[in-house]
Amino acid sequence: MTTTQAPAATRPRVDTGRKLTFVRALRGEWIKLATLRSTWWSIGIAAALTVGIAVLIAQAVDMPDFEPIQAVIMPIQFTMLLAGIIGAISVTGEYSTGMIRSTLTANPVRGSVLAAKSTVLAVFMFLSSLATFAIAALAVTLIVAPRDQSIDWSDPSASVLPIIVASLAMAVFALIGVSFGFILRSGAGAIAATVGVLFVLPIVASFFSFAGESWAWVLEASAYLPVAAAQAAIMPSETAALDAPAAFLTLGCWVAGGALVAWGVLRTRDA
Amino acid sequence: MITAEGLTKRFGDKTAVDDVSFTVQPGSVTGFLGPNGAGKSTTMRMIVGLDRPTSGRAAVAGREYRKLRAPLTEVGVLLDAKAVHTGRSARNHLRAMAATHGIPSSRVDEVIDLAGIGSVARKRAGGFSLGMGQRLGIASALLGDPHTLILDEPVNGLDPEGVRWVRQFVRHAASEGRTVLLSSHLMSEMAQTADHVIVMGRGRVLADAPLAELVRAWTRNTVRVRTPRPADLAAAVGGPDVEIVSSAPDLLDIVGLPAARIGDLAAGRGIPLHELTPTTGSLEDAYLALTGDSVEYRTKEIS
Repeated sequence: MTTTQAPAATRPRVDTGRKLTFVRALRGEWIKLATLRSTWWSIGIAAALTVGIAVLIAQAVDMPDFEPIQAVIMPIQFTMLLAGIIGAISVTGEYSTGMIRSTLTANPVRGSVLAAKSTVLAVFMFLSSLATFAIAALAVTLIVAPRDQSIDWSDPSASVLPIIVASLAMAVFALIGVSFGFILRSGAGAIAATVGVLFVLPIVASFFSFAGESWAWVLEASAYLPVAAAQAAIMPSETAALDAPAAFLTLGCWVAGGALVAWGVLRTRDA
Repeated sequence: MITAEGLTKRFGDKTAVDDVSFTVQPGSVTGFLGPNGAGKSTTMRMIVGLDRPTSGRAAVAGREYRKLRAPLTEVGVLLDAKAVHTGRSARNHLRAMAATHGIPSSRVDEVIDLAGIGSVARKRAGGFSLGMGQRLGIASALLGDPHTLILDEPVNGLDPEGVRWVRQFVRHAASEGRTVLLSSHLMSEMAQTADHVIVMGRGRVLADAPLAELVRAWTRNTVRVRTPRPADLAAAVGGPDVEIVSSAPDLLDIVGLPAARIGDLAAGRGIPLHELTPTTGSLEDAYLALTGDSVEYRTKEIS
């Protein structure tokens, strides 16, 4: 007996191993980030600001109980905005140019696109911040040396740890920007929202320190804003509103919450 | 093969695509026609998972696009030429796309050559002309050597050489057994390229037929006759199935009789003819007849 087989509906194809994987999606996102001049401009400006402000602070603050590491970390008050904006425009740039349609046809699994972009930006921001803070630390060391001050590298909590945590915080700020990018899509909107959360809300909250008891909750709540939490995580102190574990948890919640809302929006909305 | 089953897309209370079903067969070029706003692009976007259908399903090679494990090697998509970041060079754009599927950079250089953008591959895509952007879009559609091509207005903005290249390319792809769905507003171009056409109007499929059949069903063969004695000729050829239109004193357009019969009838009565031109309907005529009535839909059974 013979059996006849129906002819294959499609051409026989050789499996060339060319298929979508998450690691490859990461690679694609990295190429996209690294091949835009704006990425390197922004990182360059962030690095110049960090080192420049650190040097200024180290020169200006000449007090016996001054810890030089503070001069290294303090510029984050300014560069945090750049981190958030880099994250936001990495997404909104795709929407404004139409690139997002290429991205989503190459990788139609939207959660994977979100995860890949977030991972690449976070790692990139962490490593570049680490390098920048290291350079700033070196510069500050040279400046405070004549005053017989130095960064105490034997005490991690006054040297290595603040630098690592500050770099992590920069990654968190970039991720907040990424989330707002996916949620709002427009460059102006996402940047405004990112700047609002990182910069404006803390200022608004600080106005309430003059208000009465009934407004104290505003100040308490403002301790959970990303920048306040980052400060509490970078330089834990007795006076901070949050202890270190609570601060890290807060930062984690901002990242997870932002990613969750972004994913919800991205997976349901038309591109 | 591309299948659409009851695809519907509503934006608010506007129905852009209304219960659209069709099958695009491999081994031929299927033209996707329709006026602006007919729902062609939305349908294509739903096929590749960019837009979520309000109801219905679309599948490529039997599977939903979002479930494909290697979409770039299965479907080549060109939805609009501006799906590229303006700050990135053409080559880097293609490298980033290729990286997601482990496609080597040798293939990137191959498609750059194929699409003829070698001289501008390292320039930023933001400065590209419409035609160059179109070529870059085609290059990215070809990256994964896909068995299905979905091209929305691929010849838009291309120079004549580029138009011919696209035509030859899709004909060749179809001859290799690939599935090609291609939209265009250039009817003469489509007439040379497509084997089969799907015509959409106001979100619905108005016709889905082989090109030759569609043209036959929706056009009439007319014969243009120029004579100094039009009244006599009209009387000679007149009959129940014959329609005569006069657009100038010495000119008749006659429908329902072959040119040879008209010539014979005129000769028999000694009526001089100064012109006798048979014209066959074109895809454009058929298309306009199908979609021209914008107030009411006309659908017609074909075959």
